[in-house]
Order: sequence, then structure tokens, then C-alpha cells
Amino acid sequence: MNKQQESKVSWGVSYGEMVFREFVKGWLNVVCMVLIAFLFAVAILAPFLANDKPFVIRIDGRLYFPLFQDLRPNDYCVFLAAIIAGVQLFLVRRNRRRVEPSIRSAVLWRQIWVNTGILLAGVILLLIFIPRRLDATDYKAMVASGKGSGAIFAPVPYGYARTDLKMREQPPGREHWLGTDDVGSDVLCRLIHGSRISLSVGFVAVGISSIIGIAIGAILGYFGGRVDFVGMRIVEIMMAIPTFFLIITIVAFFPRSLLNIMIIIGITSWTDDARFIRAEFFKLRNQDFVQAAVSLGLPLRSILFRHMLPNGIAPVLVNASFGIAGAIFIEAALSFLGFGVAPPAPSWGQMLSLGVSTTGRFLWWLTLFPGLAIFFTVLAYNLVGEALRDAIDPRLRKAA
Amino acid sequence: MSRDSVLLSVQGLSVSFSMEDGIAKAVQDVSFSMKKGRTFALVGESGCGKSVTALSIMRLIPDPPGKIVAGGITFDGRNLLELSERRMRSIRGNKIAMIFQEPMTCLNPVYTVGNQIAEAIELHQRKSAREAWADAVSMLHKVGIPDPQQRATEYPHQMSGGMRQRVMIAMAVSCEPQLLIADEPTTALDVTIQAQILDLLDRLQEQNGMSILLITHDLGIVAERASDVAVMYASRIVEVADSRSLFAEPLHPYTQGLLKSLPRLGVSARRLRTIPGVVPEPLHFPNGCKFHPRCPIGCGDKRCQSVEPELRDVRAGRRAACWYAEGYETIEEHKDYESKYGEHKRVPAEG
Repeated sequence: MNKQQESKVSWGVSYGEMVFREFVKGWLNVVCMVLIAFLFAVAILAPFLANDKPFVIRIDGRLYFPLFQDLRPNDYCVFLAAIIAGVQLFLVRRNRRRVEPSIRSAVLWRQIWVNTGILLAGVILLLIFIPRRLDATDYKAMVASGKGSGAIFAPVPYGYARTDLKMREQPPGREHWLGTDDVGSDVLCRLIHGSRISLSVGFVAVGISSIIGIAIGAILGYFGGRVDFVGMRIVEIMMAIPTFFLIITIVAFFPRSLLNIMIIIGITSWTDDARFIRAEFFKLRNQDFVQAAVSLGLPLRSILFRHMLPNGIAPVLVNASFGIAGAIFIEAALSFLGFGVAPPAPSWGQMLSLGVSTTGRFLWWLTLFPGLAIFFTVLAYNLVGEALRDAIDPRLRKAA
Repeated sequence: MSRDSVLLSVQGLSVSFSMEDGIAKAVQDVSFSMKKGRTFALVGESGCGKSVTALSIMRLIPDPPGKIVAGGITFDGRNLLELSERRMRSIRGNKIAMIFQEPMTCLNPVYTVGNQIAEAIELHQRKSAREAWADAVSMLHKVGIPDPQQRATEYPHQMSGGMRQRVMIAMAVSCEPQLLIADEPTTALDVTIQAQILDLLDRLQEQNGMSILLITHDLGIVAERASDVAVMYASRIVEVADSRSLFAEPLHPYTQGLLKSLPRLGVSARRLRTIPGVVPEPLHFPNGCKFHPRCPIGCGDKRCQSVEPELRDVRAGRRAACWYAEGYETIEEHKDYESKYGEHKRVPAEG
């Protein structure tokens, strides 16, 4: 082990770091990670990238900030979470070098609270300083008529729910870079906002299915015997049902909302995770360090989730990456078939289905761009999953 | 609390494992008692039930397939077999701790060793994370790990086997248990490290006044460290005595055979003696005395072949389970011995 001696105490290299170092060795992996990071950035910044309201506008000599005024609370939550996550990522790396492990988690929590406090205070101040609400809707018309001046618009100055019947089914051009759809909404704008739906469906659905799968798999694997026998039969019954048709059936009973789709995808796709965790726990249960943990009198919770789970989580992580791709794909397919989110909300799959218009014309830009978006997103997650699997399994790595 | 008061006593312990082709009686009617602050050694070949006995004391027998069929284990006045799982957890690691045979696999690879020691301290002694970490570092220092401040932050894969065994010991004794069960603590280590680890255990015993249940197949260790010895063979205890008199005058033919097969300094022998035959499998124990097929006396004796001897008092302080415990002072006196067992092939060293 080569350890650097520059600081007085150099922390050891954790398993996670070794996997990460192995992972970034492949250039394709890095490209995929960058693509995913780009998608994240687009999803988080969507209201700033594509919005029909200007950042700032001067009307009758007074400044207004329509974009910030009309942001919904959940947009603010997303920004807050993203900024806190970014700062924390930086701080965690710094903590690893500066703070001793025993108090690391306490320090981390303190930092999170402080950051949240600062950001909340900032948001509240911002809301106090720009309290003037404007009930106008069409700012571009105001600018054109000379009523408003000095307006600064987002790069894509269209709203995803704005319709413009004069500009229906326009091919890509200077005004609408990627064209418009059947009600005259800008395709690029809807693509940008649609990335939010894709990502949230992917992560929330996989989060739900992983939690269910890990909990069930852990119980089956640790206790074994009769519990395992009954549990595995239930898992097998679940696996025997074709997931997609099950989802379509369930969707038919519930209102079409994003949350419902996430939950439904989540609760129908946990079987693989449960099987992986069960198999890993079978192996781990008889390992000496688990026996040692039991003999130290640690509670079951700690043994299952602190000592066994981190050693058996690798296949679930790999599966999660494939799962995100799968969930995005299922959501697109559902929306394509008309079972997905309701129309004003932008979804890639739903845009795809508009490719053939009611007049029978084939609108290629409505098929190509959302199709490419789905393709590259799913590809990136699949490749990341593949690379993770290779990085985690050293034998596979050597053979390759 | 006198020094000679009994800390742990095992009475008539029997453990069975239900296998596909029958019930394996891994431990049968095992009884012994341990004094406070002393080392008690449990000696025997692989598979004789030593480890199962130890796991029973911790109530860690995997159930199913294992089951404690009969007996009682009294620790500090309480019967461990009657405690709830919850109470048992507060005893494990806190009052009774265990160190395992294989140091390479007994530490969790995803946590730093400091974290692993600190977790038990936090749990049992209700200390804050910072105090527990400080304690963990001082424990590492106590078990002789150089630069403990640095080592505590390292992961198990960055340490050698001997180092990990020290960490394991630090983990086990971190809550100052009254009883430490050491299941073949030195089997997987180099000979030089072995002595160090055993010296370390001795030192910790002196400091904390804990009792050690030393499980081993190495009689050399036992002679030096243990005050009392129980010899196990095929799931039963065949002889119990204080180690001085056991080594001076073994009563059971199996013990005699074990001592004969040790190499001795100053005695030139071209071949090491061995005990002929192999340990019987738990599913196919012979009738009568389980040692009789390998025993120079029992192999020709009707009583040994049909009736199993109980562990009984042979004379003051000496218990053995052999019909001839009084009758033959040494095996060599038996008339068939040389003719049958005089010449053996030397068994090649393991590994």
C-alpha cells in the first residue's frame, strides 16, 4: 500500500474510492458521467434555460423580476437541494482530509444545517426585495409594443405550456431551433423541461424499488429457512408477471400523475434487487466479520444495514443504474401510449407520440429530438451500469 | 469476590445439528467450570466440538440446523440459555467477548478499524463518538499497534494478519469483558507472531482480570498458559485436570497419545509418534467408548466396545472418561502396544 505521508494523518483508501478510481479509468465512462451531469444541470436549471418570462424587465420606469416571482415553491426546493448538494460534495472531500472520522457525521450535519439556513435566508431576502407581482402574461408583446424595455430573456424564450396556434407544426428554424409541436409549443423548451420528468421518474422509481428490494432481500437472506422459502415464492410470482403490462393495468386505475407513475414503476420492479441482496446476504451471513459483529452484541439493525449491506450493495448499485434507464424508458413508453403524465406537462415519450400529426403529416423533428434524448440518456445510464459492474468485480476487470 | 470463585460453569451441555442424513451430535454432555481471572483451555482435534461449545456459550449456534438440546450455562450466576435475545445482546461483547481463528476475514472491509472498535464501545459503554474514538485509539495502543492514531484510520486490507488479530483482540477486550473466548487465536499466524499474540492475551488478562477460554489444538500453548485443561474427543470431554498434573500424568489414552505425538527438545526421534486412525465423523460414531477403535487398550476390550464410560472422578482433582483410567499408568505397558502401534508412518506436515 502506497500511502502519502504529506499530512500528519493520512486516511486510508476506502473501497468506494478504489471503485471510483477504477471507474474513471475508462474514457467512455467519463463521457457518460459528463452526459449524465449535463442532463442533471439542464434539469435543475430548466426554468432559467427555457422560460417565456424575462429575468428582468423595466415597465413604466420600475424594475420587475417576473421569472423569479413566478417560480413555484418546488422549483426553489430543487435549487436549494442542488446548491446544498454541490457545497456538501465539496465539503465532504475536505472533511475527509481535515476531520477525524469519529465526529465526521456530526460535522457534516452541522454543515448541512448551516448551509440550509444561509440559503433559506437568501431566498427569503430575495422574495422580500422583489415583492412586486406583475399579472402580465405576454412579456414579448409588451417589449414589442414598447411598453416594457430592457428585458432579459432566457436562452430559449418560450414556456413549455405556452401555445401559439399561429406557429403550429413549424419545422426547425431560426425562431424555434427545434421546431414546434401541434399546438405551437417550442420543442426545445419542452425537451429541456421534459428532462426533469425523466430524471425524477428514473431516480424516484429506482429509489422506491431499491428500498423495497433491499428490505425484503435482507430479511430473506439473513433469516433463511422457511421465511426465505415463502418469500422467494412470492418474488417468483412477481417475476412471472410481465412488468410492463402490470404497470399499464395499474395505471388504468389511477389518475395520470407523475407521482403515481413513479410509485407504480417502483413497486413493480423490486424483484431483481431482492434476489441480489438475498444472495449476497446468504454469502455474508456466515462470514467471520458478521459473526464477529454478532458476538460484539451489536443490534440486528446495525448488523443487517451497517455491516452486511455495504458489503452486498454492489449488485444493487449496478442494477440501479440499469433500473434508472429502464424507468425512463417505461415512462417514455407509457407517455407514448397515452398513459403517462397529462399533456401540458412535457414528457419525452409524449412528444414522440406527436410525431404523426392529426392531419397525417410526419413531423420528423418531433420524433428525432425526443428520440435522441431518450436514446442518449438510456445509453449513458446503461454504460455507467456496465462500467460500475466491471469496476466492482475485480475478476471481471482482470479478464477484460 | 475471591479469585478462585467460579465465573462460568457449563453443565451437561449437548448440541445437535440436524443434517440431511441424520442428526449430528456435535457436543454431548459437556461440563466444566472456569474460575475468575484464569485461563481454561479446551483442547482437541478439528471437529471435536470445541468451537461449537464456545459458540453455545455465546448463544451463536446457527438455529436451524443447530440446537442446544440439553444442559445449562451459568455465567456470573445467570443461566445464559434462559435469557432473552435482548439481554443476551447486552452480554455479548460487553461481558463475554470472542476472538476468532481467521484474522483475515473477521474485520469488516468497508470500515476503518477505528470505527469498528469504536462502535462496540459506543454501544456498550454509552460514550459519545469522540470519546469512543479516543478509546479505540488507546485500545490499539494497548494491543501493541505502532502509530495507533494513524492505524485507526486505516482499513483492514491495509494491515497484516498479525496486526488484524491484534485489532480483533482490541475490539473484543475494548469493553473489558469478564470472559474472553479465544477460538484458536493463533492458528492462522506465523510462529513468531503466535507467541506475541499469546503474550498480549496474558498481559491483558493481568490488567483486566478477565478469564480466558482458550480453544486450541496446540498442546504446547496449553502447557504454558492455561491453569486448567479439558481435553475433548469426538464431542465429549475425555479428561479434565489442572494443566500441571495433566501434563505430568495424563490419565486418558487419548491425552497420552496427544502428548506422545508432541516433538520434544533434547530427545532425538526419527519419526514423530501419531495416534493411529482418524477422528470418527459425528454421524458415524462408534458404539461404546468413541476412542476405542484407535485406543491400544480399547481396541481389544469388550467393555470399551460396548459401554461408553462417563466422565468420573478418578482421584482428587482428576476426572477422566476411561474404564482404565486407574488401571494403566502408561500405554506402553499394555501388551499389544508395540506389536500393533510400534511403527507408524510419519504424517506429512499440514499445508
